[in-house]
Amino acid sequence: MTSGHAEQAAAARDLLNACEREPIHVPGSVQPHGVLLCMDENLRIVQASESADIWLSHSADALVGRECAELLGESDMERLRTARGRADIEEAPLYIGVLTANARRFDGVLHRNDQLLYLELEPTRREQDMGFGGIYPLVRSFVSNLQSASSVDALCELAAQETKTITGFGRILVYRFDEDGHGQVLAERRDESYESCLGMLFPASDVPPQARELYLRNRVRLIADANASPSPLHPRDNPLSGAPTDLSFSGLRSVSPVHIQYMKNMDILASMSVSIIVRGRLWGLISCHNAEPRQVPFDARTACEHLGQILSLQIEANEERAQTQQRLELRRILVGLLSAIADRDDFVAGLMSSPTDLLAFAGAGGAAILFGGRCELFGDTPDEAEVLKLVGWLSAHSSNTVFSSACIDRDLPADVVPMGDTAGVMAVSISQVHRNYIVWFRPKVRRTVTWAGRPDKTATTAEPTMLSPRNSFEAWSETHTECSRPWSAGELDAALELRSAILTIVLRRAEEMAALAHELERSNRELEAFSYSVSHDLRAPLRHIVGYADLLRELEGEGLSDRGRTYLANVEESATFAGTLVDDLLTFSQMGRAALRPTQVNIRELAESVIKDLDAETAGRNVRWEFGELPVLRGDPAFLQMVMRNLLSNAVKYSRGREPAVIRIDGEDTATTHVVHVRDNGVGFNMKYVGKLFGVFQRLHRMEDFEGTGIGLANVRRIIERHDGHVWAEGETGHGAVFSFDLPKL
Amino acid sequence: MSTSLKPILLVEDNPKDLELTLIALEKSQLANEVVITRDGVDALDYLFCRGDYESRHNGNPAVILLDLKLPRLDGIEVLQVIRTTPALRSIPVVMLTSSREEADLLRSYELGVNAYVVKPVAFGEFVEAITDLGIFWAVLNEPPPGSARVARRSAQK
Repeated sequence: MTSGHAEQAAAARDLLNACEREPIHVPGSVQPHGVLLCMDENLRIVQASESADIWLSHSADALVGRECAELLGESDMERLRTARGRADIEEAPLYIGVLTANARRFDGVLHRNDQLLYLELEPTRREQDMGFGGIYPLVRSFVSNLQSASSVDALCELAAQETKTITGFGRILVYRFDEDGHGQVLAERRDESYESCLGMLFPASDVPPQARELYLRNRVRLIADANASPSPLHPRDNPLSGAPTDLSFSGLRSVSPVHIQYMKNMDILASMSVSIIVRGRLWGLISCHNAEPRQVPFDARTACEHLGQILSLQIEANEERAQTQQRLELRRILVGLLSAIADRDDFVAGLMSSPTDLLAFAGAGGAAILFGGRCELFGDTPDEAEVLKLVGWLSAHSSNTVFSSACIDRDLPADVVPMGDTAGVMAVSISQVHRNYIVWFRPKVRRTVTWAGRPDKTATTAEPTMLSPRNSFEAWSETHTECSRPWSAGELDAALELRSAILTIVLRRAEEMAALAHELERSNRELEAFSYSVSHDLRAPLRHIVGYADLLRELEGEGLSDRGRTYLANVEESATFAGTLVDDLLTFSQMGRAALRPTQVNIRELAESVIKDLDAETAGRNVRWEFGELPVLRGDPAFLQMVMRNLLSNAVKYSRGREPAVIRIDGEDTATTHVVHVRDNGVGFNMKYVGKLFGVFQRLHRMEDFEGTGIGLANVRRIIERHDGHVWAEGETGHGAVFSFDLPKL
Repeated sequence: MSTSLKPILLVEDNPKDLELTLIALEKSQLANEVVITRDGVDALDYLFCRGDYESRHNGNPAVILLDLKLPRLDGIEVLQVIRTTPALRSIPVVMLTSSREEADLLRSYELGVNAYVVKPVAFGEFVEAITDLGIFWAVLNEPPPGSARVARRSAQK
């Protein structure tokens, strides 16, 4: 755009803004092809349009203050009085029949608004009142053809055809407003001399909001002659309320000069619009154009209004059907996704198992799942860093559970918009607290926009021409960005449904986990109570047995037989063993409960101090200790000492009788772990039992061969696992064993 | 019995434990008198010279050997009273217990116990532990305040 164009566009925008503020429902005048008489409830005229001069041969001034009965005959007055009593004239024009005034025949239409009764008279050649029979043939062919029209486009084609037949206008367009308010021409019927507008777009600004409002209130709107001078009301304002007379429901209401200019820019002098209202919203318009002025009699307008209503209902039904089908399809996919989720512990894995469904579900080209710090991408998506940036922005700026945009260029800050082809984003948040999202992506849709209006048309006249379609197009294309196919309401609902289903599943799992944790806590408490009583109450009698046996031996030992002394020794030994067992068991249970206090532990130093402690057990034995390269690692020194003590004393114990017993302590490093091996050349074990080795109270040797409670290795495993490490062993009967553990590098 | 030696206060509810502890004390050949109370309330009555002990001559024991599990007031509660009563605060307290529960041990140290002895199953070891304690606490007239972890010769293997 050159600067000149930019100025023009700016001026056009100013005008468009002014246009949006124009109070078009109170123009203070009517079109001159009929007469408006405003009356009070006594049917006394309080306001009249200047066109009364032409059609009634009375000036508007002369009519004000007169009884309506002075204009109309008694039978017409009777009809007027009957109509006045009806409820359905509130803000809705009612046809009351052919009225005679000033020796002319008029179609009479009455409605009430803002305390006034509005009687609109339009000249007619009709002798009889217009009846249902007059309208029906006009609409009949349309209705009978509706059955065969399967799509909205086909319905619109039919409507254009019938409207052309009924009105005889030169060009009929049926267009729909898209979500941005631009009108897209879906169907057209035209005479040769008219340019085609099929497939073109009318910018939203062509129909400002207050005009849309009027289209909703008043469904048929005729401008018979753009060149005709509007006929002012006398007095100008509503004399009963003092406010400007509200002409929202008046068929004769005059047209805004901006709109007149707009029509002239399009080379048309007569136009008629019929509203298409679907579910209470202005869905589109049937727009009729004629190069010459053209009158459309009231019955034809009514026929068009009916046609519009029938079309509206059909479109509604059609859209509902399409929507229902879409929802059913979405539901089918949703059920598939949910069963995939339900089959797995992890909903992300469930969604990942059917990527096609995940994409089809939202009609998307790509999707991302962000959960618990993971980011999984499917199909055509921006790269992970861009997705994370986008989601970061969403979680900071959008509090809605679902966010959607078909135009992220327009709706998001430039620095979070991914490069490449993504234009549409739909994101559902699946956590209030964390950045957990499912995001779908849609590519840009390249659409060629053909503008309604002749591109070569240049503005030659003053201000109002700024509003030629050509200029509004330029203003519009300035702000128009490339978008994706829009996200439908059904898709948004389905995404929300998927979200709540996931939440339900995740929540249920969380509840199950909580219940388990609770249960675990309870059993832990029981276990603690149990250990406490074992620790306290079971140890005491054992101590007593040992103590008294000891005292008995001291006191009476001399007098006992050899057998008696052996028995006593057995009592003492058994009770001592039971005591040791209780102590070991308690240590084992504490191992699971005590807090770890990790520091740097030098395994070599630890091993050496343990070896020193084993002096008593190695005394008089030939034991050779060997050391390999050993790590310094992070762990709880007291617990790790217990591990080393167990492994080394086992190695000493099970290598009894070897000359020499060789015990080698070795280390190795992997990428993520430190490994420690303790190798001996002792009795070894059968690998068949390797699975039992680290179990509680598992013994692979007879009591009388090797002493011990069988809990040492269980302790080793428990300690190492609490450090997130592993234990394992290899052995061969008669050929020694190697016990190993690893701990994660931190 | 020498009067210059302060008595040892033994607080123990279990008659067998009481007998074995007394035997152990006897074996350790301590000359101190041993005052026996059978629960926490009784022990505090002694220390505060009230109830049955109203007429005893004043003065704190050389050391209190306190069992952890007692009817009425348990050992921890008794220890708490002793440590929060200025007149009693400086008496050395040795917790004797059958329990190897870490929580009890930590709580006792928090409350300022001087030694914590888990009674070993082997009687010989128990006698040794009592002997060490007796020598350390009962014989010394001026017990140093603070921890006596050195005396923890419990058989924690």
